[in-house]
Amino acid sequence: MMREETLKKILLAGAALLTMIFCLGPFIYMVLTSLSSNPDFLLPTKPFNLTLANFMAVIFSKSAHFLAYLRNSLIISAVAAVATVFLASLAAYSLTLLSLPGKTVLLLCILALSMFPPISLISYLFKLMTALGWVNTYPGLVLPYVAWSMPLSLWILVSYFAQVPKDLHRSARIDGASRFQTLIKIILPVAAPGVFSTTLLVFIFAFNEFLFALMLTVDYRSRTIPVGIALFEGIHGQIPWGEIMAAATLTTIPMVILTLIFQRRIVQGLTRGAVKQ
Amino acid sequence: MKTKHRAHSSTPDRLAKILPLDREVLGSYAFLLPLLFLISALILLPVSGTFLDSLRRDLPYLPGKFVGLENYLAIFRDRGFWVSVRFTTLFVLVSVPLEVSLGLMIALVLNETFPGRTALRAMVLIPWAIPAAVSGRIFELIYNYSYGLANYFTYLLGVGPVNWLGTEPGAFVAVVMADVWKTTPFAAIILLAGLAAIDEDLHRQAQVDRANLMQRFLNITLPLVKPVLVVALLFRTVDALRVFDVIFVLTGGGPGGSTNAVSLFAYTYYAAGDFGYGATVSVLLFVVALGFSLAYIKMARFGEEL
Repeated sequence: MMREETLKKILLAGAALLTMIFCLGPFIYMVLTSLSSNPDFLLPTKPFNLTLANFMAVIFSKSAHFLAYLRNSLIISAVAAVATVFLASLAAYSLTLLSLPGKTVLLLCILALSMFPPISLISYLFKLMTALGWVNTYPGLVLPYVAWSMPLSLWILVSYFAQVPKDLHRSARIDGASRFQTLIKIILPVAAPGVFSTTLLVFIFAFNEFLFALMLTVDYRSRTIPVGIALFEGIHGQIPWGEIMAAATLTTIPMVILTLIFQRRIVQGLTRGAVKQ
Repeated sequence: MKTKHRAHSSTPDRLAKILPLDREVLGSYAFLLPLLFLISALILLPVSGTFLDSLRRDLPYLPGKFVGLENYLAIFRDRGFWVSVRFTTLFVLVSVPLEVSLGLMIALVLNETFPGRTALRAMVLIPWAIPAAVSGRIFELIYNYSYGLANYFTYLLGVGPVNWLGTEPGAFVAVVMADVWKTTPFAAIILLAGLAAIDEDLHRQAQVDRANLMQRFLNITLPLVKPVLVVALLFRTVDALRVFDVIFVLTGGGPGGSTNAVSLFAYTYYAAGDFGYGATVSVLLFVVALGFSLAYIKMARFGEEL
């Protein structure tokens, strides 16, 4: 018995260490490269020269448009997250607390939508946005993000709203509150943790999205940071790894901080969106 | 006049008898309208449009016309398409089991109580939180022939440098590893939820019965976590089938089209303005992905508690 406990402890410690290296390794490599004047510092003959020049270049270079990309990403993702969660709350409320015939089928159909390959949408999204004149604008990207993250948000919110006692809803309605008032004043505050998790997940999803942004943006006026970094090639023929990694670091640090602070919320939301327990 | 008025006023009542819709229910449906409008306009309509496009010749330099199944016949004779199908299949078959088994190992670790568990849980989410396009760039540097991290390890191991992104097997491994890094955390999180639901008394009882670590894993943990494992496999399969960003950034489908995922194959046609052909590829991918999606929805037992 004792031997097995020790064995288990050693295994656990080893596995925990490996997990840490696996998850952090590439991330640390990115940060190190961004802080080095030479990306080839791993070569035995090359030293590691600490510098902030890469960050300076990325932030102050007008032609790289890094700050514009970052601003676009933050605005588009935040607007998309709030709009999605608001509209999905309306739907989740009607599906959980109001009695509607055929709601399970409807929910399952909506869930199936979220699994469509994005490539099967982009050509028409492009044609639609071209017709509306919204290619390379914020709404041109916000609207597809709202629609695309709606099914999953709906599912997560439904699972949170289902835990709100029905009596709470019923008594508010008997007291004369309209459905909309009941949702805003009673249901949303009670389900606030779930609403917050969902908003966070949609924000991260929109911030990380690539294909729609690649297809529907043209330049710094609406291009988001993942596309900006993916297409960043430098002008002198050689890939400016230091600057790319500095841009990548500046992009990921906010996401990493968000993740570390709200770890519990994110895990809860992700789990509810993927498996029913 | 009087009778007409009476008939008119009773219409809603009669309607209510025929359809089980009263004002309360109708009002509730109204809450669904914004959602239904957006997903119809921006998901259903585009997908239907793609289906229609796949039956048309839609090129920038020729008038569009209906061609029936011609695009499909052309696709089935297209060697490039089959190369991309073979790559995508291999990619799913290799990366998904890797992600789910690695995810299970991580989940087993995270399910134990030890100092620093919360910190480790947070660290596991980092690869998930980084945009795939950005992690694609990080891996592009890792696989750099002259000074990347991967060849630093081959150097430490005493093996010569490997041309990761310039050779077909190298590029395949590179793409799989980049995807595994990015998506294993998600598998781990889902599996952790499954592990956490296992009754600890079962393990305690088995320990009393002198079952060892391996026996307990095989006879208690694995069977109980199996449904969640299947869900994770299916979910990851749906996602891996539509892989795009990592490959777009890391190899661009190369070398020689050997990592050209189906999504990327379709994208190159869209980018060249051949919407008919691109749509046909998208429709085929859609149909395959839908099959796995429905299996996933069924296995995950969504909608049971509603």
